[in-house]
Amino acid sequence: MKEDKIFQERRARINELRAKNERMTCRERALMGVKHQEPDRVPIDNWMVPEIQKKTMEYFGCDSYDELLGFLGVDFRNNYGPSYVGQSFKKHPDGTVEDLWGVKRKTVVYGKGTAHQGSYSEVAESPLEKLKTLEEIKKYDHWASPDWWDYSKVKADCMVYHPQYCVINVGDRLDRTSQLKPMMYLRGIQQIFLDMVMNPTIVEFIRDRIIEYFVAYNHRVFKAVEGEIDIFMMGDDIGGQTGPMLSLDMWRKYFKKAFKTYIDIAHQYGIPVMYHSCGDVKQFIPDFIECGLDILQSIQPKATNMDIKKLKEEFGKDITFQGGMDIQHILPLGKPEDVKAMAKYALDSAKKGGGYIICTAHNIQIDTPIENVVALFEAYHEYGKY
Amino acid sequence: MDILKSIEEAVLKGKFEEVKTLTQQALDQKIPPNDILNKGLIQGLEKVGKLFECQEIFVPELLMAGMAMKEALTLLRPILEKSDIPPVGKLVIGTVEGDVHDIGKNIVSMIFSGSGFQVTDLGIDVSAQKFVDTVEKEKPDVLALSCLYTPTRLAMNDVMRLLKERNLRNQVKVIIGGAPIDQSYADLIGADGFAPDPPSGVRKVMGWLGK
Repeated sequence: MKEDKIFQERRARINELRAKNERMTCRERALMGVKHQEPDRVPIDNWMVPEIQKKTMEYFGCDSYDELLGFLGVDFRNNYGPSYVGQSFKKHPDGTVEDLWGVKRKTVVYGKGTAHQGSYSEVAESPLEKLKTLEEIKKYDHWASPDWWDYSKVKADCMVYHPQYCVINVGDRLDRTSQLKPMMYLRGIQQIFLDMVMNPTIVEFIRDRIIEYFVAYNHRVFKAVEGEIDIFMMGDDIGGQTGPMLSLDMWRKYFKKAFKTYIDIAHQYGIPVMYHSCGDVKQFIPDFIECGLDILQSIQPKATNMDIKKLKEEFGKDITFQGGMDIQHILPLGKPEDVKAMAKYALDSAKKGGGYIICTAHNIQIDTPIENVVALFEAYHEYGKY
Repeated sequence: MDILKSIEEAVLKGKFEEVKTLTQQALDQKIPPNDILNKGLIQGLEKVGKLFECQEIFVPELLMAGMAMKEALTLLRPILEKSDIPPVGKLVIGTVEGDVHDIGKNIVSMIFSGSGFQVTDLGIDVSAQKFVDTVEKEKPDVLALSCLYTPTRLAMNDVMRLLKERNLRNQVKVIIGGAPIDQSYADLIGADGFAPDPPSGVRKVMGWLGK
């Protein structure tokens, strides 16, 4: 941590609020929140693209991302699971690299030559997209295997953060425990949506290979960590900006069973489950609760039906919410006072009785001004006290 | 049932093979292709749009209807192009530079095509230069820009700037869409409008063109 006067001044407000508000460890606070109890202040989680991590570290004079999280009062630490020890990912002459599922990926740069330059790893080609029949798809030989991972170090990786922090096993954005996402990567988004109507046997076949993998993989992870994971996170984007991407009936037909299976496995090991989906998923929430989901993540405020106040009133007794801060409009385009008002609204609406973890609805994106990031964290501490 | 009504029903149910067969039958019965389009296919598509907007159907069903329109148009388009009937309008569409997401853009493209537009789809990760060159060359009524991420929406700004620089801004209406887009963003960058979903996009553009 840099101790120059300018950085001390920039850190002063958050330090002062934290000293006033905090009376327990991050892990105690986070787990109380999930259990619908009121800790000293609302637990804080953080999602940022790497470029914003760097910018925020530089602003506050932090030498590492862990140091930044420590200073900001972020209560959670991510664990990315076991180490990959399978065959090295095949590189192709066109610059694409195959992922865990044999899907060719490429790095796509946006904002080239501007202050907002960044990149994402995107699907370059879906290997099953052009295949016409189930028989052709059955010949595919690059299904992921739980044997491709070394589970021996994951417990120690989690223990580094205990007892201070709450450890979330998040997986990686591209191979987090899910059903639909790898299907989209393997078969192409458009084709898998068409298959859901026209080719149910293809959907079920691909889905079942994915479920088999994650069921075996998660059992091994949870056994290996021996209680050192505090929260298990899975994710599948089924919500769009103006409504769900698929009907509740279709979700029940294809996805509900394994959604519950994944939760049941984590619960066998005593681990609460968080589920990420962007967008409007309101009409699925009663089913999520019925399946035993503990925490719903994202609560994207600019999506239809995802107002945190209404969700808290309707479902708050039965499920914890994580998220609620808008990264699409207010953070990149608003003023610091708009950011503070947004955080205050969410905290006033959702903190009562516990069951709320404040966080952005997705990664804070590169186009967000630093003063809005600062306002966000100051507001978390200003309005989060119980 | 009247064959045009049957076509409408088949589009509504996303039965694209049936739509194609019925369209062929209607052509064989010497029904004018413009009637097949306007009184059959587009009627079905409009109903699909309404169901999508009130969350009774979702992306898979909208895609099915879009595909059904595409199938029917493979039969109708060559005939319509030979006749003197002009398209409803000309639209150039693409996902902006740095963004490779195309499911939304593809559906919009299909729905505009199905609504009688001549659509030039430039694909994904399209540079401002390419959009503007295409506007200059093809003189479309409307330019439609799509994106998924907030940082990539900044590339929409580049397209607007280049349109002005090349004195083409007044020749084309610009509509923008995608998850992080709303009316305030359209106002901010000086686009003519935004649409939250494909059916409302078609309605907005039809309004601009006085159709």
